[in-house]
Amino acid sequence: MTKKVLLCDDEIPILRAAEYKIKKAGYDVRTAEDGEDAWEIILADRPDILVTDCQMPRLNGVGLVERLRGHDSTRNLPVLMLTAKGLELSGDDLAQRLNIRKLIAKPFSPRHLLETIECVFQEQPHVELAK
Amino acid sequence: MNRARDYNPSAVLALVFSGGLVLASGAGFLVDHRSWLVRLGSLLIGLAIAALITWAWMWPIQKQMKVAHRYLDRLTRISPSELQTDTFDTQLPSLPVNHPLRDVADRLTVLLIEVCEKVQELEHVRNAADIHCRRASDERDRIKAILHGIEEPILAIDQFDELILANPSAEALLNFDATSTENRMLHELVKCEHLVNLLTTTCHRKNTQNCGDEIEITDESGERAWYRVTARRLVADTSGSSESDAESTGAVAVLRDIAETKALQHRNAEFVSSVSHEMKTPLAGIKAYVELLADGEAEDEQTREEFLEVISSQADRLQRLVENLLNLARMEAGVVKVDKTPRPLNEILEEAINIVRPSAEAKQITLIADLSPMYLGLLADRDMLLQAAINLLSNAIKYTPEGGQITLRSRMLDKDVRFEVEDTGVGLSEDDADHVFEKFYRVKKNRDMAPGTGLGLPLAKHIIEDVHGGTLTLQSALGRGSTFAVTIPGSGQMA
Repeated sequence: MTKKVLLCDDEIPILRAAEYKIKKAGYDVRTAEDGEDAWEIILADRPDILVTDCQMPRLNGVGLVERLRGHDSTRNLPVLMLTAKGLELSGDDLAQRLNIRKLIAKPFSPRHLLETIECVFQEQPHVELAK
Repeated sequence: MNRARDYNPSAVLALVFSGGLVLASGAGFLVDHRSWLVRLGSLLIGLAIAALITWAWMWPIQKQMKVAHRYLDRLTRISPSELQTDTFDTQLPSLPVNHPLRDVADRLTVLLIEVCEKVQELEHVRNAADIHCRRASDERDRIKAILHGIEEPILAIDQFDELILANPSAEALLNFDATSTENRMLHELVKCEHLVNLLTTTCHRKNTQNCGDEIEITDESGERAWYRVTARRLVADTSGSSESDAESTGAVAVLRDIAETKALQHRNAEFVSSVSHEMKTPLAGIKAYVELLADGEAEDEQTREEFLEVISSQADRLQRLVENLLNLARMEAGVVKVDKTPRPLNEILEEAINIVRPSAEAKQITLIADLSPMYLGLLADRDMLLQAAINLLSNAIKYTPEGGQITLRSRMLDKDVRFEVEDTGVGLSEDDADHVFEKFYRVKKNRDMAPGTGLGLPLAKHIIEDVHGGTLTLQSALGRGSTFAVTIPGSGQMA
């Protein structure tokens, strides 16, 4: 069965580039432009992985993941988080607290993002994920 | 001299009287031993003769004694200052050269002069000591006043870690009253362990260099503040030996409030973080699409061209960001030369409106120039004010939907000139309006309406308020549009 990937970013060019790459790899890709949109899509049709930006209008990435972790059906949903900032985030703490599989710094490589998603699907968390 | 005259006068008197008595008795017995009357008369005559001889002997002695008494009495009444003069002896009664007490009087006079000299010497020493004491007391009062006047908390300890000095700022910050307790141990008065350790370590170390550290102190009200502490070892005397060899007598610490420095560091960090975020976003787009092209992901020519267009627009965005950032930094640093000359405001506004007109027309936005017919003179840096007007007009065009209307209005006030940019755009919420002049702030929900860096409005505000001494205010209603109003002092002069 085709795995479902949900991409969430308010920067449309970045969202489209990632969507293009992952869709071409054969995955079912959905997109959302903020946390609230993503939450509605997740409730309607749970994806197999969420790739979300950190800074977004309405509901940001951290808020979205906190909401996921408080909900039974999404508590264990694998999450990758993209961020252009780094100063206000302590990556290890955040990843541990919210069970985020990987924080990916912008600018990122769509190729590495795809490899990271595939690693998560193959349940190989020990593999060095995208830089 | 006659040494017999040095004897005790009473003994001499008794001796002479006894001799006279013996002579008288002997004469009485020799005259007639059977007549008792004759014998008695002879005895009386002998006694009279003895008394006469005694009186004759003693009278000059008593006279000399009186002279000596007068001499000594006068001598003791002469003041020490008179004793220092060469003519002091003219004030004394004359004492004959052969007077039996002349030697004694001379020695006494010399002794008295020496005593007076010593007394005067001691007087000088005492006066000098008094002056030193007064100076030391004044110095202490002055230092105390200076210490009390210094806002920075200062405290010092001795080599036994006991507090020896604390100014009121230190007492207030560290919440203790040094005068109200006998216990002067620093660690019992001051609860801030970090500060106590720094002071005691400084006191007992050999190194004489200043010790410094940043410490966080919680004051009485529970508020926490950062202080930069500089501590130095005190040494008694370094003459003849290096400071490191000298024995430590304590340590002193000065605390400097670095709340502003910390806030500045935080603001700088936030600014760098914001710049980093704003730059990484277009970079992320460029990198992603370059990689897609390099990997041959574009299936057809149209897709390839779409990717290249995105790369180009993201590169433009990055360029705009860098230019705006540099302009703002230059202005804030004052490295941009401000060249203010008397200018007509309308001329600048007309130029600005001509520059932005193509953008407005592309969105079918009606651009109205409602400029005052009066001469609105002001002292302005033409290029900068033009930039501010363009930024305000461009902002209005970006956030006004197609078919909307923008009015540029100018008016003369009492002493000021004013222009407004009013649009029928999306407007701002109260919260967004409060932040819209902050660097990099962009209204989230309007981001897709137009590319932007979040620097145009802060730049305009800086030009108007800091460079031209005016004000830039905003009135906005969500969904109904915004009005940015600029007021600048007028010059009234014709250009």
